This record gives sequence, C-alpha cells and structure tokens, in this order.
Amino acid sequence: MSFPPVLDVEWSHLAPALALLVTAIASLLVALFQRDSKLTAAVALLGVGTAFTFNLSTFLAGGAGEASFGLRYLADTPSLAFNFVILVGTVLAILVSYDQLTRLEMDHPEYYPLMLLSALGAMVMAAAGDLITLLLGLEILSLPVYVLSAWRSGARQSEEAGMKYFLLGAFGSAILVYGSALLYGAAGTFVYEGVVAALSQGSVLSLATLGAGLVIAGLSFKAALAPFHQWSPDVYTGAPTTVTTFMSVVVKAGAFAALIRLTATVLPEVAPWLTTALAVSVALTLVVGNLAALVQRGVKRMLAYSAVAHAGYLGLAVLAPAFGGVEAAVWYLTAYTLMNAGAFAVLTLMVDKNDHGDDIERFAGLGHTRPGLAAALTVFLLSLGGIPPLAGFAGKVMVFEAAIAGGFVWLAVIGILTSVVALVYYFRVVAAMYFRRPEYEGPTFRSSATAIAVAAALVGTVLLGILPGWWHDAIRGAAQAAQTALGF
Amino acid sequence: MSTALVVLLVPVLGAALASLAGARRNLVTLSAVAGTVATFLVALFMPGASAIDVPWLPGLGTSFALDPGGAASVLVVVAALVMIPTALVGSLTVEDKPGRFVAWLLLAQAGLNGIFMARDLLLFYVFWEGTLIPSLLLLGAFGLDKRRAATLKYLAYAVTGSFVMLVTILALKVLSGAATFHLEDLVLAARDLPVTTQAWLFAGLALGMVVKLPLWPLHSWLIDLNEQNHPSGAADVLGTLYKVGGYGFFAWALPVLPLGAERLAPVLIALGAFTAVYGAVIATNQTNLKRLLAYASLSHMGIVAVGIFGLHVAGLNGAIYLLAAQMLSTGGLFLITGMLHARRLSFDVDAYGGLAKSAPMLAAVSLFLIFAFIGVPGLGNFPGEFLSLLGAFQTAPFAAVVATLSVIAAGVYGVNVYQRLFQGAQTTPARDLGPVELYVLVPFVAGVLWLGFSPAPQLDRIEAQSQLAVVQLATVDEPTQADVGAVAAERARGGPPEELALAATEPGPAVEGVR
Repeated sequence: MSFPPVLDVEWSHLAPALALLVTAIASLLVALFQRDSKLTAAVALLGVGTAFTFNLSTFLAGGAGEASFGLRYLADTPSLAFNFVILVGTVLAILVSYDQLTRLEMDHPEYYPLMLLSALGAMVMAAAGDLITLLLGLEILSLPVYVLSAWRSGARQSEEAGMKYFLLGAFGSAILVYGSALLYGAAGTFVYEGVVAALSQGSVLSLATLGAGLVIAGLSFKAALAPFHQWSPDVYTGAPTTVTTFMSVVVKAGAFAALIRLTATVLPEVAPWLTTALAVSVALTLVVGNLAALVQRGVKRMLAYSAVAHAGYLGLAVLAPAFGGVEAAVWYLTAYTLMNAGAFAVLTLMVDKNDHGDDIERFAGLGHTRPGLAAALTVFLLSLGGIPPLAGFAGKVMVFEAAIAGGFVWLAVIGILTSVVALVYYFRVVAAMYFRRPEYEGPTFRSSATAIAVAAALVGTVLLGILPGWWHDAIRGAAQAAQTALGF
Repeated sequence: MSTALVVLLVPVLGAALASLAGARRNLVTLSAVAGTVATFLVALFMPGASAIDVPWLPGLGTSFALDPGGAASVLVVVAALVMIPTALVGSLTVEDKPGRFVAWLLLAQAGLNGIFMARDLLLFYVFWEGTLIPSLLLLGAFGLDKRRAATLKYLAYAVTGSFVMLVTILALKVLSGAATFHLEDLVLAARDLPVTTQAWLFAGLALGMVVKLPLWPLHSWLIDLNEQNHPSGAADVLGTLYKVGGYGFFAWALPVLPLGAERLAPVLIALGAFTAVYGAVIATNQTNLKRLLAYASLSHMGIVAVGIFGLHVAGLNGAIYLLAAQMLSTGGLFLITGMLHARRLSFDVDAYGGLAKSAPMLAAVSLFLIFAFIGVPGLGNFPGEFLSLLGAFQTAPFAAVVATLSVIAAGVYGVNVYQRLFQGAQTTPARDLGPVELYVLVPFVAGVLWLGFSPAPQLDRIEAQSQLAVVQLATVDEPTQADVGAVAAERARGGPPEELALAATEPGPAVEGVR
C-alpha cells in the first residue's frame, strides 16, 4: 500500500476539531485578562456550536470514506457521528457547570477551555486511522480531564481523584504505546489499513497479536472495561459532579470510538484468542459493574459503577462491528450520553455546596418535594435500565442484536441477566423518590442552565426512544458507505 | 387517524390531563371519566378497523404494526369497559395525589391496548415492558405498609422473565433469518427451525409469559401485589387486566414456534392444571379478602393455561374468552373489596358478617359477581371456562379432569365467602351502596351479562386470530418417538412430583386434536 508523498489535508474534514481548538485557545487567552468563567462558557458554547455546524455539513455531504494525512485522520460517517455525540455531551456538561462553578467554589475561567480541549481529543480519537493519531487523541483527551478531576482545590477527594486518574491514565497510555511499538514491529506501519494489509500477507502474527492486545488494553483503561476499570468509580466519585458528567459521556465516547475502529480493522486479522479475551473482559465488566452498583449507598457512586456496566453493553457492540455493531455503538452512545448526562445533571442539583449529599436517603420523597426533578430522574434511570419506550431500550436492543448476530449469544445472556440487577438498583432510587416520605428538605438550589440541560436530555431520551429509526438510518447509511469505501 | 392509533393515544391524553390536574380532584375525576369513556367508545369501532404498519426502526426490521381486529377487538373493549369505573374509583378514593394515580392507571391502559394490538414482536415487547412501570409505581407509591417488599418481588419476577424474553426475541429473529419482527415473517421463517432450537426459544418466551400469566411456581408476586395494592382495589383491577401471559402464548409463542409449543405443552398444561387446583384449594383457606381473590384468580389462570396448552382450537378460543371475562368478574370483585374496606377498614373476612340485612344491594351485586366468577352458566366466565376445558379434553383429558376439579373448589370458596360476609349473625350494620358505588358496579354487571348471554360474536373474532396458531400447529410434523422420549426425560429431570404425576399420564403428542 502506497501513500501520497505530500500531506493530503482536507481542511473541511478537520474543521469541527479545529473549531474546538481555536475557541479553546481563544478563550484561554481571554481568560488571561477577564477572570470570568461565564464569559469562557459562552465562548465555549459558541465553539461547540461552530464545530457542530461544520460537522453537520460534512455529515450531510455524505463525507463517507474521506481521509486526511494518508488515512491517518478519517472523517468518515462513523467518526462524524461520534463527533455529534461528543459535542452533545460537551454542551450538556457546559450547561450543567454554568451555575455550579461559583457554588462549588471552583470558579476559574480555564475550566471550559480545558473541557473543549478534552472534547477535541475525543474527536481526534474517533477519527484516528493510525496508532500515532490515536495516541495523540488519547493524550489530548486525557490531560485536561486529569486537571479537571482535581479542579476543587483544597478538597482532598477531588485532588485524590485527579492524582489517581493521572497515574493510572499514564499507565494506560504507556501500555498503549508499548502495544503500538510491537504492532509497528510486526507490520512496519502505524496506519490501521497498512497493518491489516501487512497481516493479511503473513507477517509475525504472535507479535502483532500481543501488540494489538496491549493497544486494546490501553484503550480499555479509558473505556473502563474490567479488569482495567478500578480507577473509574473512585475518580467519578471524587471528581466534581459537573466534571463527572463530562467524563462519563465524552471520555467514554472517545474511547469507544477508537476501540471499535480497532476491532473492525486489526482485531479480525490477529489470533482469535484476542477476540475471546476481549469478550471475557466485556463479560467481566457487565458482571462487576452491575453487581458493584447494586451494593452502593451513594447515588453518585452507583452511577459511577453503572457507567462501568454500560461500558460492558457498549462492549457487546464493539465485539461485532461487522454485524451492525458500529451503528449500535454510535446509537447506544447517543442514548447513553443523553440519559447519563441527564442523570448526573439532576445529581448536581441534589448535592450541597461541598459536592456532598448524594445518599439515597436524600432522594426519599423527591416525588413530593420536587415532582418535576423526580420525574426527569425517573425517566433517565429507567432509560439507563433499558425500559421501553425510552432511548436506552432501543440502544440495548441494537447492541444485543449485534452481539447475537456476531455469535456472542452467551455474552448476550450474561448481559441480560445482569440487566435485571441493573434495573433493581436504578429502581431503588425511583422507589425512594416516590414510595417514601421526605426525610430531608428538598434541594433548594436552582439553575436555569442546568434546567435547560435536564430538559434537553429529557426530550432527547424520550424522543429518541419513541422515534429511534431516523438516527439509526442516518448512521447506518453512513457506516455502510464507509465500509465499502475503506474496507472497514 | 386510524382507530388503532386513537385507542392507543386517547388514554395517554387522559393521563396527561389527569397529571396536569394534580390535586384538583374534580378535574382529575373529569379527565379519568372522559379519558376512559372516550377510549371505550373508540374501541367499539375496532372490529373491522384497518391495521397500521409504518416503519419504526427499519434498520432492525421493526415496524409500528398494530392490528385492531381479532382477539384485540374483544380484549381492548372489555378492558376499556372495566377501566371506566376503575379510574373513577381511583380518582375518588386516593387521598394523596389522585392525579398521579389516575395518570399511571391510564398509561398502563394504553400499554395494554398496545400489547393486544401489536403485530410486531419487538413492538409487543415494548408495550409489555412499558406497562410494567406504571403498575409497579401504582403498587409502590399507593400501596399498604409492606408495599416496598411487594414491589421488589414483583419487579424481580417480572423483569427476569421479560428480559429473558427480550433476548429470546432477538435471537429468534437472528436464528430464523427472518427479515423483520413482523408476525407473518416470523411465522414463515421460524417454522423451519429444528425442534430443539424451537423448544429453547419457546422456553425463553415462556419464562416471561408464565411469570405474567402466572402459573405455579412463579405466581407468588401476584398474591403480594394484590394484598399490598391501594385498598380501593382500583390498582388490583389493573393487575387483573395486565395478565397478558396467556395472550402472549396465544398470539405469539404458539403460532411462531409450533414445534416448540408441542414439545413443551405437556409440561405447561400440567403446570396449568396444578395451578388451577392449587389456587382454588388455597383460596378456600384464606381469610384476607384480597389474598382470597388473588388465589382464586390464580386458579382461573390455571384454567386459561390448560385451555391454551391443550393446543386445540376450542381451548384457545375459550382461554382468551376467559381472560376477557376475568377482567370483568375479578375486576368487579376487587372494587367490592375496596368498598367493604371503606366501611370497616379491614380485609379480614372475620370482620364482616350478616351484611345482607343492612346492605342488601351490596350483597346482591356481590353474589352476582361471585356467581359469574365461579362460572355459573349464563354469566361471563362460563363460556370461557367451558371451552377451555372442552378443548383440553380433546387432547389432554387427564389435565382437563384435574383442572375441572378446581371448578368444584370454586363453588366452595365462592359460596363460603359470600356466607361469611353477608349471612349469619349480623355485625355492626354497614351502609348500603351509595349512588356512585352503584354506578361503578353497573358496567361490571352489564359486561358479565353481555359476555354470558352473547358469546358468539366475540368468539368469532377471537377465532379469526386463533386460526393462525391452529394452522401452524396442524402443519408441523408429528414428533418422532425419540423426541417424545426426550421430553419425558426432561420432565423426569426437572419436574416436581405433582407435575410429574400429571404429565406422566398424558397421551403423547397433544396436537392431534387440531387436525
């Protein structure tokens, strides 16, 4: 396989990512002179809006199979679709943070630019067509999030979360780099397409398998797949709730976008035991995430473990990219972003100004004290539990269908049995809100920005659930076109 | 807009109005009555109305396919009739947040209508599972002291069953290679699946449906649910309407997986016969009115199962007819327990006695509904029970004989409870039915008479749908001797003693009666 000698840069495909980069830098500069986080929030929203517009126009133009830098940066429909998810997650996180930074005493204007940079990293990961781009994306994604996790300076929990995340994240990156080196050793190139071509011509299989295994393990850190998930409940709990909102959706989207591209290209070419290992890891994630969530008292920590469990459901799709898994993953992430960000958004309204107070007792009687908030959280939790006709149900159907078609019936069975457990812990919160009398005064904090985020996520969760077809068709048409164009 | 869609949306609209009305009871009552009456009137136009079928999630082969004809046109109409007084009672008796109560009730009704009309298996599941949530919330938010344990039990049973059913549904499409989840596609594609695969898939569907039906030994959630629900009985009536397991077998599992049905029918009919007797016997010993009714209606569900798994056309028709009649007779009796509770604040039979003197009208209506419930000819339950047993007699006479014993026991507990409540030494006088209570019970009495005296039109509509299952069951090959042996071996491994005793005496393939 030969690549063009000159850099082939298609600027329009880089435009969404560049829009985020430019606004992030611009608002960092603004922050030097104007210490006002509301201003950088506005700039950030503007940047996300611009990126969204660019992304939409490329998506509508049917930018299937478009690539820059010799297949190293792919602006194909899966990556564009992932971009939508990332941008929606970012907007929700910005809105959720808007009134909270002052209240939680972490009001520094650099907050939003860092969030944008991290989203940029997620977009680069989604578009990565080679291992170096992947690493770049991963680092751009991770570094701002390490900082954001420790954003509440003086709060030991938050600082500890940042430090833990940084150390384990660095460990994950190192594994990924090591795997990339081994893959390069086996195939002589970093580009996925080149690796596939080299492997099909019979290069060193064992080396390539080891390399691919390490790369996938490195990504599994970010994706929080067991047994690489241990950091995530601690970090999710320790980080400021607004940051957790962002991490749980955008970081996950980036990691899974990168992971599914690997399982679609490199994974089928290496030794089959690696696929089995990944399947076992997914099964483990489902079991561990759901069982651990069951025994949590705090709702935030329960949601953190539930995020691990959802990584398992996404893993079902990631294992079967050729059987509708790509669309299923994008769709599931869309639904997950809306419902999970929505649930965390409600949580930010529940916590006190020390970012504490997410015990389930605090939710008792919320159906009486704050009926609207309780109804919204009920919808988010039931959707996370996969109850029709909400978005989470259609997503679950898609990932299970992909897994069954891909031959992983046993994983689907494990997935469904653990889903029963999941519904129990989600429903426990609903039960507390409606079946019990209030034990504490209802939360008094109100924020119109957060209310907008909750309302948007609510409408999205319900509408996407009732009308799941259009978005699935959009990404499916795209994914199929991309498959033919790139041999994806 | 098509009738099917209107029947689905009117209760949702009513629910929205009721929840907007909030604490203003008059408005809640108004939206309850308006929503349910409108649904009933629209539902009357369902026979002969056109089906709808629009793409819903085309990428997965799911469409929004609803057919208002067939059994749906009976079940939805009867359920809508029952919901009018039920929603009214709910709106009048719930002390705190009546709007929320009525809204959840009506949402569940919309889901039920969807279950009965769906002709796409995934859509069927959507309604099946969606309806669970309002009924759970009704129990948990408005129930008695031990409601939280009851809710958890209900949730665990229902969700375990239905999630397994979901995976089975997805696997069914993948394994059979059907292009869509549409009933016709699945029927055509799945008939070629090997017997073992069909049996496994059937078992997966059956788990979800047996829990909802329910049959022994997966029934205990039902008893707790009825005991702990709101004392007015309105939520229990919903529970009566929501026993959709029998319908699921009838409309989906039998026609799509006839070989699997044939394979597992002996086990399931044995469970049904046992459940019928078990429920009836336990009902005779109950002193809590709601538990008594719960066990008694469990016994009837056993008869429904016997009718269905006789795999004979008469039994299928009868089972669905019995489901419809049960909505009326059990529903009415649950509301009567609520009225009794309103007088004495107790569900204990011993707290009552001799009420016929002070409340003659209440006694008369109760006696009438009890007669209907225990299957007195001329009233609602009789045609259904008779046909269910008749069908089973053609193919599985022993199970039918056992199930018939439950009808005798029904006479015992029915007459017994009437005597203990209304005859004997008079306790403190109770007031008789008030005007509203009388209006509430009129639809039940009228419906019971309607179903009792003129079963033919309804049975024709049900039969139009049962033909599909009958044809599918008739076209499959006789099981080989090895298959029968395997089934017998399975029974010997897993079945409890009672069930074994029943199953072992049954003649081999039950499908003969269909031919």
